[in-house]
Amino acid sequence: MNSKRPVNLDFRTIKLPLPAYTSIIHRISGVILFVAIAFLLYGLDLSLESESGFNSLKQLMQGFFAKLIVWGIVSALLYHLVAGIKHLLMDIGIGEEKESGILGAKITIVVSAILIIIAGIVIW
Amino acid sequence: MLVSIYRYNPDVDSVPYMQDIQVEIPAGKDLMVLDVLGLVKEQDATLAYRRSCREGVCGSDGLNMNGTNGLACITPLSAVVTNDKLVLRPLPGLPVVRDLVVDMAQFYKQYEKIKPYLQNDTPPPAIERLQSPADREKLDGLYECILCACCSTACPSFWWNPDKFVGPSGLLQAYRFLVDSRDTYTEERLSDLDDPFSVFRCRGIMNCVSVCPKGLNPTRAIGHIRNMLLSSGT
Repeated sequence: MNSKRPVNLDFRTIKLPLPAYTSIIHRISGVILFVAIAFLLYGLDLSLESESGFNSLKQLMQGFFAKLIVWGIVSALLYHLVAGIKHLLMDIGIGEEKESGILGAKITIVVSAILIIIAGIVIW
Repeated sequence: MLVSIYRYNPDVDSVPYMQDIQVEIPAGKDLMVLDVLGLVKEQDATLAYRRSCREGVCGSDGLNMNGTNGLACITPLSAVVTNDKLVLRPLPGLPVVRDLVVDMAQFYKQYEKIKPYLQNDTPPPAIERLQSPADREKLDGLYECILCACCSTACPSFWWNPDKFVGPSGLLQAYRFLVDSRDTYTEERLSDLDDPFSVFRCRGIMNCVSVCPKGLNPTRAIGHIRNMLLSSGT
């Protein structure tokens, strides 16, 4: 007899509701921000070091890929911020029902998408 | 209709597998998933699953049906079946004893932890402990839980920490006794829950609310517990 019991936890078979996806993205955007802070601090350090450091960073930031990365980091920040505000509202009892939870998730996605597009326009 | 069922017999199988069975559904009828399991069992008597009351009261037949947890007896095919296919798997995250039967020990242990009974240190009155209608009303939406485990096994926080996080079902019950006017152990109950895992592993994902077959709301109950913990400052 097989004494080690299997566990059914195959994510391809589990259907998650929308609020679960917004929660996962919230977590992922947090990890991205955590990692990105190291690079941003390095950039800040470089810019404060000397005038030539500031100029070389400024030069670097003009590149397409640099802008793309900055946009990515800002996007993670904006999503994390919007989802975080939704969490604060839930803490005071708003959006804790089944329907309002789904509505909250939809609003989170729409608002952050709009902010991310605006951020893209500002960066370019 | 094609029914795909998670099969595992510890005496024979080293790993679980999916068994596909064609089931004839009587025309013009919207059967419950539990009825379909009955039809499958007529074809293959070795299939194991739990069931008892067949009307959503006992909480025995919690299953994962086409990816969503629920009670097989009160879930009509029209609510879950897509493309004429039904996939039945045991509740996620709990060890599988056989086929669709899971070992609920971990789940019950969390229930036991919250001391699911009235505790009162005042002398018992001659007849019974009275409660005002207003206080009784506070238990609505809490006492109806049938411990089917659909919510806790839909919760990622419970999947990762089934031993330390009490889980949505246990916490709903915890709040049921915290808010009961006849229970005098509120402070003790709160201090039992006051650690980084028991309550605070809840990330507000709300999978519990979306699957509860009784329409209850563990997320809101957990929010109330957090507020009680905050204001008591234990």
